[in-house]
Amino acid sequence: MSMPTSEKEKSAIAVRSMEERPVDLRSEIILQFLLFGVGLIVSFPILLALLSSFKVPEDIINYPPTLFPQQQVHVSVTGYDEPLPLYQLTLDDGTVAEYAQVSREGGRLYMVNPSNPGDMIDVAPSAAKRIERFALSFENYETAWTSQPFARYFFNSVVQTGIIVAFQLLFSILAAYAFAILDFPGRNFLFYLIVGSLMVPFQLTFIPNFIFVSELGLSNTYIGLTLPFLASAFGVFLLRQFFMSLPRELYEAALIDGANSWLYLWRVVVPLSKGAISAFGIFSFLGAWSQYLWPLVITNEVDMRTIQIGIRFFLFDQERGADWGGIMATAIIALLPTLLIFLVAQRQLVRGIAMTGLKG
Amino acid sequence: MESSSQDLHSPWYGRRKLLKMLEGYAYLTPTLVVLSIFVFIPIISSFQLSLTRVAPFGNAVRYVGLENYERLLVRLINVEAAQTYLPYLLVALVLSVIAIIGYSILKHQPFGQYRSRLQYLIIFVVLVYIIAIVQGALRVSLIFTLGTTIPGITISVFLAIALSMPLRRFSWFHRLLIFVPIVISSAVTGVLFRWIYHPVVGYINYVLSLLGIDGPNWLSDADWAIVAIMLAVLWRQLGFNVIIALAGLQSISSTFYEAAKVDGANLWHQIRHITLPLLSPTLFFLFVINTINSLQVFGEIDVLTQGGPGETTRTLLYDIYFLAFRGTPQRGIASAESFVLFILIVILSVVQFRIANSRVHYQ
Repeated sequence: MSMPTSEKEKSAIAVRSMEERPVDLRSEIILQFLLFGVGLIVSFPILLALLSSFKVPEDIINYPPTLFPQQQVHVSVTGYDEPLPLYQLTLDDGTVAEYAQVSREGGRLYMVNPSNPGDMIDVAPSAAKRIERFALSFENYETAWTSQPFARYFFNSVVQTGIIVAFQLLFSILAAYAFAILDFPGRNFLFYLIVGSLMVPFQLTFIPNFIFVSELGLSNTYIGLTLPFLASAFGVFLLRQFFMSLPRELYEAALIDGANSWLYLWRVVVPLSKGAISAFGIFSFLGAWSQYLWPLVITNEVDMRTIQIGIRFFLFDQERGADWGGIMATAIIALLPTLLIFLVAQRQLVRGIAMTGLKG
Repeated sequence: MESSSQDLHSPWYGRRKLLKMLEGYAYLTPTLVVLSIFVFIPIISSFQLSLTRVAPFGNAVRYVGLENYERLLVRLINVEAAQTYLPYLLVALVLSVIAIIGYSILKHQPFGQYRSRLQYLIIFVVLVYIIAIVQGALRVSLIFTLGTTIPGITISVFLAIALSMPLRRFSWFHRLLIFVPIVISSAVTGVLFRWIYHPVVGYINYVLSLLGIDGPNWLSDADWAIVAIMLAVLWRQLGFNVIIALAGLQSISSTFYEAAKVDGANLWHQIRHITLPLLSPTLFFLFVINTINSLQVFGEIDVLTQGGPGETTRTLLYDIYFLAFRGTPQRGIASAESFVLFILIVILSVVQFRIANSRVHYQ
C-alpha cells in the first residue's frame, strides 16, 4: 500500500480538483439519478430500521409492508370519553363514509357517525378499512429501554470504548513518538515487530487470550473486556508516519531552548498533530464500539454485556414474540453513536481510510 | 548512531546517551507489553494448545501430537475426492500448457508473451480442483470469500468511477449515502438484514414480489442462507472498498484521459484501457484486504444464521468459535483450525500477490 504524504495527495479524496471541467448536462442528469438511486439502496437498511423503530406493533407486521410509520386516526365523539378509532366504510348502497368504532360484538363492528353521534350502525369487519396517517411512536424505544437492562448495556459499551480509546491513544502516542523522534538501538526491528503484529489475525490469538484472561479471574470485568486491546499497532503506525513529517529542526530548536523530549512531545508534537490523533481516535472508537467476538466470549453475566452483545441476545429472546419494533429501536440506539461520529467527522474518516488503506 | 567528536569529550556523554536510550524503550514499553501478552505469546500458546486434547470427561489435558491436524484434514478435505480428481487435475494442467503453446504458435507470437495467461489458467484449474475437494467449513469459507470479494470489488469499482465524475452539485450527498455503512458494526448489520430478510414482511421479498419473483426464505433455506450473509457483508464493506477505489482513481493522471479523448476513445474504452489497468495496484490491494476480511467475518453469521441451516454457513472462524465455546469445549482442535485459517490467509495473499505481479501496471 502506498503512503501518500504530500498535501496534494492528502486531499485526493475530496471532490476532484477544482479546475476540472464538469461533465456535460446530459451525463450530469443521468449520474445524479443513478447515484441517488444507488445511495438510497445502500442506505436503505438504516432508513428502514429508523422508520420501523417508530412504528406501532400492529403497523410493523402489516403486509404489504409500508415504509413510513402510520397510526390509525382517532376522533373524539360527543358522548364518549376516549377518542374512537376512525374507519372508512362502504355502505350497502355503495356510498363511502367515515365512521368511528364504538365496540365489537358477535363478529359485527358497531360504528358511530362522528359528526352525528345519534347515527349508529353495525357492519361486517370486512367492510371497514382503517384510516391511517403518518405518526411517530416512541413506544418501541420505551419498551426496548425498559424490557431489559439496556441502559446498563449502553453504559458498559461507553466504559469499554472509553478505556480502549484512552489507552490506545496514550500508548500509541508514546510509541509513535519513540519511533519517529527518539533514537535507540533496535528501533527499526521493534517497529517492524509491531507493524508485523497487524498481520496476525485475531482468531489465531483469541482462544489463548480467553484462557489467560479467564484464568486471571477477569471475565465479566471491564478490565477483561478491554485488556487485550489497550495497545494498537495500527495507531503506532499511523501516528509514527505523521510525527515523522514534523521538521527535525523543531526538535533540535526545542532542545536548545531547554525543553526535554517529554515536554517537546506534549507541548509541541501533540498540539501539532491534533488532526492525525483525532483521526486515529475515531478509528479506535469505531473499532472498540463495534467489537463482537471478544465481548461475546469473555462475558456471560447479563450485567456485563456490551450493547452489541445485548442486541444479539435481545434479538434471540424476542424472536418468538417478534417484537421487531423493539429490536429496530435497539439497533438504532446501538448505531447512533457511530452514525453521529460519521456525520461529524466523515471527511477525516474517509481520508484516514484512503491514506492508510485500513479500517483501524 | 551519530557520534560527533565534540560529544565524545563531554563527561555527560555516556550517561545522557544511556538515559535517552532508556527513554525510548520506556515509551515503547506499554505497547510492547500488551502486544507481547496478547499477540506474540498467544501465537506460540495457540500452537501448543493445538497439540493437546482434553479428555471427554474431566480436565486432563493430553499431548496428542499432530492428531488434531489429522482430524481436521479429514474434516475439511474430502481425501477420496482429492485422490479421484488428482489425475484430472494433472491432465487439465498439461492441457492448459499445450493449449497456450498451441495458441502462441497459431498467433505466430513467442510463448513468453502468453505467460500471464498460462498463470491465470493454472490458477483457475487449481482453484476448481480445490473447490471440488474441500468440504465442511473450509468449503463454506472459500465459497463465501469468492462470493463477497469478487462482486463486492466489481460493484465498488464501478461506483467509484461514477462517484469520481466531476458533478456540479450533490457529490458530497451521494458519497454520504454510499459511505455510511462503514460505521455500522457487524452485529447491527446482522440485525438490520434480519429484518430485511424477514420471511413474511421482509422488504427484499416484497420488492421481489412486485417484480413477480417469489423470493426464497433467505435465512432458513440451505442454498440461500450463505447468499444472504454475503449480501450483508458486501453491504458493510462497500463504503471501504469505494473509498479505496476512489483514492486509486484519483491518483491516475488526467493526461491519460485527455490523450484518449484526442484519440476518440469513448467512455467504455477509457475505462477498459486506461482506468482498469492503471487501477490494478488498487484492485490487487482490495482483493487481498477483502479476502482477509471475508475469512474473518463473524458477527453477521452469528446474528443471521449461527452457522445454520445445518452447517451451510459455518465458516472456518464460526467453526472455531463453535468448537471452542459451544457445548463441550474442544480447544485443541479449534486452535489447530485457527492455525489452518492463519496459513490459508497467508497462502491466499501469496497467490494474489503472484497474480498481481504479472498483471499489475504501475504508472
